[in-house]
Amino acid sequence: MTRSWRTWFAVLCCALWPAIGSTAPITIFAAASLKPALDDLAASGALGTPAPRLVYAASSALARQVEQGAPADLFISADEAWMDDVASHDALAIGTRRDLLGNALVLIAPASSQAKVELTDPASLLHGLGQHNLAIALPKAVPAGRYASEALHALGLWSALQPKLAMSRDVRAALQLVAAGECPLGIVYRSDAVSEPRVRIVAGFPPSSHKPIVYPVAIVRGHDGAASRALLNALESSRARSVFERYGFEAPPPPDQ
Amino acid sequence: MILTHDETVALVLSLKVASAAVACALPPAIACAWLLARKHFIGKPVFEAVLLLPLILPPVVTGYALLALFGHQGAIGRVLDVLHLSIAFRWTGAALAAGVMAFPLLVVALRGAFEAVDRKLEHAAATLGANAWRIFFGITLPLSLRGLVAGLALAFARAFGEFGATITFVSSIPGQTRTLPIALYELLETPGGEGGALRLTWVALAVALVATLGAATLLRRGARGSGQDT
Amino acid sequence: MIELDFSLTRGEFVLQLALHSEARALALFGDSGCGKTSTLHVIAGLLKPSHGRIVLDGRTLFDSRAGVNAPVAQRRVGMVFQDVRLFPHLSVRENLRYGAPHPRDASRFDAAVQLLGLGALLKRKPDELSGGQARRVAIGRALLSQPAALLLDEPLSNLHREARAEVLEHLRGLKRELALTTILVSHQADEVLSLADAVALLDDGRLAALSSLPEFAAGLQKGR
Repeated sequence: MTRSWRTWFAVLCCALWPAIGSTAPITIFAAASLKPALDDLAASGALGTPAPRLVYAASSALARQVEQGAPADLFISADEAWMDDVASHDALAIGTRRDLLGNALVLIAPASSQAKVELTDPASLLHGLGQHNLAIALPKAVPAGRYASEALHALGLWSALQPKLAMSRDVRAALQLVAAGECPLGIVYRSDAVSEPRVRIVAGFPPSSHKPIVYPVAIVRGHDGAASRALLNALESSRARSVFERYGFEAPPPPDQ
Repeated sequence: MILTHDETVALVLSLKVASAAVACALPPAIACAWLLARKHFIGKPVFEAVLLLPLILPPVVTGYALLALFGHQGAIGRVLDVLHLSIAFRWTGAALAAGVMAFPLLVVALRGAFEAVDRKLEHAAATLGANAWRIFFGITLPLSLRGLVAGLALAFARAFGEFGATITFVSSIPGQTRTLPIALYELLETPGGEGGALRLTWVALAVALVATLGAATLLRRGARGSGQDT
Repeated sequence: MIELDFSLTRGEFVLQLALHSEARALALFGDSGCGKTSTLHVIAGLLKPSHGRIVLDGRTLFDSRAGVNAPVAQRRVGMVFQDVRLFPHLSVRENLRYGAPHPRDASRFDAAVQLLGLGALLKRKPDELSGGQARRVAIGRALLSQPAALLLDEPLSNLHREARAEVLEHLRGLKRELALTTILVSHQADEVLSLADAVALLDDGRLAALSSLPEFAAGLQKGR
């Protein structure tokens, strides 16, 4: 009886050895809003072969995991605050942080909607909403929501619209509410609006109405090797940039602030 | 421990939503639990499985289902809008989401309580001429009070802590649907907000403690009244 | 008038009875397991026979051929169970009134309380009663539901000697005061002799003999 158990155990070890022995693939932790663009880049081979492993979640969740030592090689955050948080926990490889992308904030409506809205006129916005709500992401928890809140404040629309706000867990949920027609208007990133055929852009928020939307990227401390550097270069290449632009992203704003 | 104005609003709203959720879930839960405890019918296993769905499905999925049905574009939501009884993006919608999530817990607890009542007493009541309603309200329900109260406390706790289905269905609207769990989530999602989240966790614990103590006191008083041993 | 003609199968046990009696008080007598209690449950409607007919005082309670199966609550049989089954969460008064929650007047209630000596017990809860007291409350409760017939399942079982005597006395009093068709289950001869007018002897699910009380008494004398 014991002999056969030992044999099976040995067979099992041999079978599993390749898995135990091999190295983990290079991994990017990326904010969820980057999924369509990054998946496209990875599939087309622009990020190297074999393609890197891509892990998507809210920037907050990813930041915490990186701080706790999750096996990420690169981290792309949807805002600077969470990247700063990771830096303050000493989890970034020094000198590898840079701004990768920018984005724009837009006001959207369902594709079939005929709404005409003037961002300078609170009354036209309220009229566009009627009895219903304006969909944005949670300002306190989600970068997109924070930018939306800043923009509404800057344009003097906050006090009129605040009671009508329906705040979602993330910006994709806000996008879906407008796409499904549950909310007649919503505020999301241009990259989100571009990816959803069931919505149309009604107006664009002037960049001056909110803090610059920046997607910083950095190599995680302890993972600074040739492969990580190569991946970082691939993300910043012109090939990658044109794909990002196709998905509604912009070049990062100049670092003058 | 002082709460900000926003947090106080969220706490009061959570108490209101959870209370309404449990109050509305109770009658259908009693009916379903009684059917499961006392009756046999074709498709009973399927019925049981459907009742447990909110427990099995990810809360976000349940939230989306509620949105599809009761949202402004939903089949039922459209009708409600016409009748000016809309629950989409309202505290009543939050109460529905919380009620749906707490419902299976209530049914399971009540079913256990009903099954524990001696059917021989129900038979005796029948021989005395009592119809099914009188037997249920006069004999079964009073004798299952312990289980009922325990189930209510459990359901209230679940409704109070409900997050995923609520935020997916009715989003977060201060004063209407921004419950305490949502306020807690916002703090957790903010860099450096862990301290505030801990503070709200203590508040939630306090509510749970009050609910449990309340339930225990109710049971003790009830037992004293009927001369039973606690 | 009591007419029982039915067949019931419960697992391995087959109960098959056919009897007709004009007696006011009929006793079902036999050893434990012979089907006496099951017969009472069948009459009450708590067990359903596979086929047959049950008629009490001209009222058809069950008739498989005619598709009649009166619900328990409508059979108007007052049953006193062997395990008493008082409602533990209700007081004695509330237990008594359970079968007649909205009486037109209090006289029936008072009369039953008087007849069974329950006056001092009304405010108590069932767990505060002795065996004999609980049995008397159960009888009172069954009576107050204004039944057309009374079913007593071993009314004197599990009572110590004084309680037996006390309950027996009250039952005799009831028999004198009320003219209520009664079916009584017992495995003790003295109960039967005190309370019955006719005796159906059951053996292993079948009727072994149906006799009048004098015949039964004589049979006992001869040692059966």
